[in-house]
Amino acid sequence: MNEQIGKSGFAGSRDYVASEELMASVNVAIALKKPLLIKGEPGTGKTMLAEAVAASLGKKLIIWNIKSTTKAQEGLYVYDTIQRLYDGQFGEAGVDDIARYIKLGKLGEAFDSDEQVVLLIDEIDKADLEFPNDLLWELDQMEFYVHETKRTVKAKQRPIVIITSNAEKELPDAFLRRCIFHYIDFPDEALMEEIVRVHYPDVEDNLLKSAMEVFYNIRSLRDIRKKPSTSELIDWINALQLGGISAEKIKSALPFIGVVVKKDEDLETVRHAGGL
Amino acid sequence: MFTKFFHSLRSKGLHVTLGEFLTLQDALSQNLCGSSLTQFYYVARMILVKSETDYDKFDMAFEECFKAAEHEGEITSQMMRWLDKSDLQELADEEARAQLNELEDLQVHMDKEEVEQKFKERLRDQDSEHNGGSFWIGSMGKTSFGNSGGNVGGLRVGGKTGHQSAFAVIGERKYRDFRDDRVLDNRQFQMAFRKLRQFSSRLDIPETELDINGTVDKTCNNGGCLQIVMQKPRKNAVKLLLLMDSGGTMIPYSSLLNDLFQAVHKSNHYKDVKSYYFHNCIYSKLYKTPECENGDWIDTDWMFRNLDSDYKVLIVGDAAMAPEELYSDTGNYRGPNGGLSGWEWLHLVKKHYKKIVWLNPKMAPGHAPWREAETAVKGLFPMYKLTADGLNQAMVKLMVNK
Repeated sequence: MNEQIGKSGFAGSRDYVASEELMASVNVAIALKKPLLIKGEPGTGKTMLAEAVAASLGKKLIIWNIKSTTKAQEGLYVYDTIQRLYDGQFGEAGVDDIARYIKLGKLGEAFDSDEQVVLLIDEIDKADLEFPNDLLWELDQMEFYVHETKRTVKAKQRPIVIITSNAEKELPDAFLRRCIFHYIDFPDEALMEEIVRVHYPDVEDNLLKSAMEVFYNIRSLRDIRKKPSTSELIDWINALQLGGISAEKIKSALPFIGVVVKKDEDLETVRHAGGL
Repeated sequence: MFTKFFHSLRSKGLHVTLGEFLTLQDALSQNLCGSSLTQFYYVARMILVKSETDYDKFDMAFEECFKAAEHEGEITSQMMRWLDKSDLQELADEEARAQLNELEDLQVHMDKEEVEQKFKERLRDQDSEHNGGSFWIGSMGKTSFGNSGGNVGGLRVGGKTGHQSAFAVIGERKYRDFRDDRVLDNRQFQMAFRKLRQFSSRLDIPETELDINGTVDKTCNNGGCLQIVMQKPRKNAVKLLLLMDSGGTMIPYSSLLNDLFQAVHKSNHYKDVKSYYFHNCIYSKLYKTPECENGDWIDTDWMFRNLDSDYKVLIVGDAAMAPEELYSDTGNYRGPNGGLSGWEWLHLVKKHYKKIVWLNPKMAPGHAPWREAETAVKGLFPMYKLTADGLNQAMVKLMVNK
């Protein structure tokens, strides 16, 4: 780790175990003032990364959750025409002031903030194919123009932008070129153990060992549709602890397996495979 | 600085742009890499590579350019690990095995070096003819083109194809991209695709249309004070998955396939259209382009996980293949088999998707026992001939409820 960025930059946090590569990516993205694009299997802690970065740098976190219906414009601002129409009918005061009806979106909020914030654009691949392209200029120049009020909203402090993607859709090249990219590998067993211990420091050794063995076995089954992820393992271990299940029973009885395996077909597969 | 690295990356098929490269220079001048080669590796990778599937190409170029810097023992071992991670080795092993089987089958005993020699000659020829064989051919040479040892065993290299059971056909970039924007009279196809409609206003989309009737009603009820009602636009809910056979025996039909592809993409009323390519049969990988180049693929398992069972599946292919390509679990001579035979993969497809039809451009009428693979596939999926009429029937089949 480079000392220069190691000192002032992001170095993981108490609740979040980050690999060295990942920490380097965060710090390079901050230094180069480019958005950081994080890809990886669901449940590898992509979203939590932004929380950890915000917490460790002591900055406010603004989350823009992307859904399939989200339009780029919504992130900038929304002009509430209907409200204005209603207000106009009843002759409310201030109807002629358009600025009253301009509501900043999450991106606008991040630009308009007086302090530097961390902006998380979560699951960008959920949106329409054109969505990332519509944000190119805004993310590059960190400003946008409000046509109705002829005002330019410019970032007072360039926000740290973290974008996550589940790789459901390919992202456009023009967009990718502007990002720093990091792929979060699925954690190996050693790192996984560390992650679980961060969440449950006093988990019993035997329980953890058998639970992880079963977990990685399930992941390696060929027919599994939805591979269980880190967060599911953590929930499962919590359930096992609360239920007071002994380590020996985990492998034979697969208690609370519904926490790990969510699909009917997968439950079937796991049962068939037996002898986990 | 490092211009050689830049060119090497591009020659490996990574589309690094000047802008990205300048960003890297910027990172260097800000001393973000320190003086460590490892650090430089990560920084360069995160800036230049934008997909995990390209990591391997990057590793290759990196090794090529910075081999001289290998005197740090630690780096070498790390480099080995990165290289180990790549599927390349796995793939090479797999293909080497396949090749061995094949050689045994064909009872051809050829010195390994001789095969390599032959391949190298061929590659050189191809280079001059096609302006640079791509990276994959280069590195996969020993393996996938090692198959060309079968040259004496009836394998065709170049020339016209049409030899239906030839075990392998090495294409000379004959695969035309179906996306070529040719102006075609594919109206009939488009009309057929119109049938594939299922309007729904229950979709998860915003209410963006003005409901005029609703607005008038509400406003009247409201004593003349305007009250606006919005509604969801009606959208087609059909999702279509197009799987196309490409190359080999399909080459004579490429213009027909072109028509079909264009028709699907012009009918932009679908909720989603995904298309992937395969060669002869579906195995563990599906290709993103008709060239079916190694590496440019997705896992078939990934498709199962990400494209749910509501997708209507349209498989286009002639189902003409050697029986071992269908039934043997090493039957895929171009890529990995994933431990299952093509037949088993087809069963997985059938199990996962509710609605599947197979369109065949040269389907034999009635019962054709001499086309073993086609008959078998016909038993698995409803098969229609790829004509405007057959397409119509297939569309109806895709829409009806069982």
